[in-house]
Amino acid sequence: MIKDREKWLEHASQKIKVPQELIAKAFKDEIDGTPAMDAPLEIPDIMDITYKYSYGGISRFFRELRDNRRLYGSKCTHCGKVWLPPRINCNECYAPTEWVELGETAEVVTYTVVYYGTSTFYDRVPYVCAFVKVEGADTLIMQNIFLKDIKMAKVGMKVKIQFKEQRNGDMGDFWYVPADGVYDNV
Amino acid sequence: MDKVAIVGFGTTPFRARWIEKTYYELAYDAAKLALEDAGIDRKEVGGVVYGIYNELFERQFMPDVYIHNYIGMGLKPSVRVATGGATGGAAVFVGWTWIASGLYDIVMVLGVEKATDNYNYAVGHSTPETLKAILFSGDMTFENPSGLTAAASYALPLIAHIDRYGSPTEKQMAMVAVKNHKNAMNNPNAQSPKLLSVDDVLGSKMITYPFKFYDNCLYSEGASAVVLASERVARSLSDNPAWITGVGLSLDKAFAGERDDITVFTSSLHAGRDAYRMASIKSPARELDFAELHDAFTGAEILSYEAFDLCGPGQGGRLIEDGVVEMTGALPVNPSGGLIGCGHAVGATGVMQTGEAALQVQGRAGKRQVKNARTGLVQSIGGPATAWTAALIVQRIEKTGAGTKKRIASGRRRKGP
Repeated sequence: MIKDREKWLEHASQKIKVPQELIAKAFKDEIDGTPAMDAPLEIPDIMDITYKYSYGGISRFFRELRDNRRLYGSKCTHCGKVWLPPRINCNECYAPTEWVELGETAEVVTYTVVYYGTSTFYDRVPYVCAFVKVEGADTLIMQNIFLKDIKMAKVGMKVKIQFKEQRNGDMGDFWYVPADGVYDNV
Repeated sequence: MDKVAIVGFGTTPFRARWIEKTYYELAYDAAKLALEDAGIDRKEVGGVVYGIYNELFERQFMPDVYIHNYIGMGLKPSVRVATGGATGGAAVFVGWTWIASGLYDIVMVLGVEKATDNYNYAVGHSTPETLKAILFSGDMTFENPSGLTAAASYALPLIAHIDRYGSPTEKQMAMVAVKNHKNAMNNPNAQSPKLLSVDDVLGSKMITYPFKFYDNCLYSEGASAVVLASERVARSLSDNPAWITGVGLSLDKAFAGERDDITVFTSSLHAGRDAYRMASIKSPARELDFAELHDAFTGAEILSYEAFDLCGPGQGGRLIEDGVVEMTGALPVNPSGGLIGCGHAVGATGVMQTGEAALQVQGRAGKRQVKNARTGLVQSIGGPATAWTAALIVQRIEKTGAGTKKRIASGRRRKGP
């Protein structure tokens, strides 16, 4: 039994950034019960770290997405392979790449539908994760496909890029929708 | 190269949660059991290779240093292996090299994992938080933001495979789930022993298309350890050691979108070829007596049949339909129950499967014994879209001469190769 319930909950809530009522529910037995001294004791805990992460050499890819609604790949100056995800050098030729703008359309090479997501994506299920081949790129990129009916997803499906209104400079700034459909921003 | 044998195996049961044990307490239990099984003292161990996957599961970075202390191995050499789901198998691979190189005579490989101490307070369950901890293994810039899960990572190559070959069907995958849950009923350490029907599997809730609930392995907590020894020590400790006669390790392109053929488990194909070559196995379907494959998801087991040349491309589904991989078939797969039936305590899993393979070839596997098991394959897969594979061949070799009478069990570093 926890003697000063209010103080314990307040401390726990500040520590792990979870509302007190949810913590109270999870720790009901420890708070209200009388577990044996030797019974396993659980504690609220968190591993947390914030970043000011640098995209390094591929910074332009995300600035173009965020500021200009443009999707760029990178083309090897030696073999001409167009990489997406982009990279500033080619791991086959060990030569530098140069930026090239890619097309708006893509083809679904493979996909899956996630019905049970992580904490971050819990509110978004079900959603489609796919590898798509973007017009002008030689590799596939993983991206979400937004569909009115999740069962529409299929290999070979033609899709087109759609940009989010509020763009932050990350992969969440765009997704794909069926090439022949009209979809509002989600 | 020195020959390498498995002379001891110990494992805790795999469970959804070991609330009464920390990761180092679980590791201690497995180490103790493995040492007892080998008949040696901890002081005789030359060094320890740890297999531990996810720091966030353990709530601890560098958990191996605390285990090494806790199990009384202080000042002995140690290294940790972390290769996603392939961690256990890759840890055995590294332990194998320590002995094959002639550097040590006795090496312990110890795999351990917690998974369900993390907890999502809004949902009142650990799973969404466990998935989140795994998702940090996907590329943080390009893959993590799409909400890729471990199941999705396996589903992507599988859907492409189904699109090309029309196989495996959902029914064939369900048959694998039925088999592995059933096999687990013969394994006292298994987390999910169950008698299911194909309809039970097909009717269970969709997790990640095309995987239903029973197509998935479960998150497990547990620890497993094997004691590896050089030939001279192994012969002195056991009349009937299990030999690791082939090893292979391959890491495919992590961005699966760069691969030449997304429908193939190419790292398994490469690791398998290397292990087969080393063990002089030319026709695996005929020469293998059983396999412990990495059935994180049913479809992965079927694609692995193909990658390991147990059948041709697109033919994997037929092996389960024809009963070949059942306990009564010509090549039982996952007599332990595998990840689906026994469980997936990530760092421990490949070590457990290696230990299970040793029990099989030594004829010590109890109710799950495959008749006349002499040669087995062990596979560990990990990383984005099955990037990593560790493959091992575990064999019984009939003794030709008399064993060393004098017991030699000093695992200390040798003076020279």
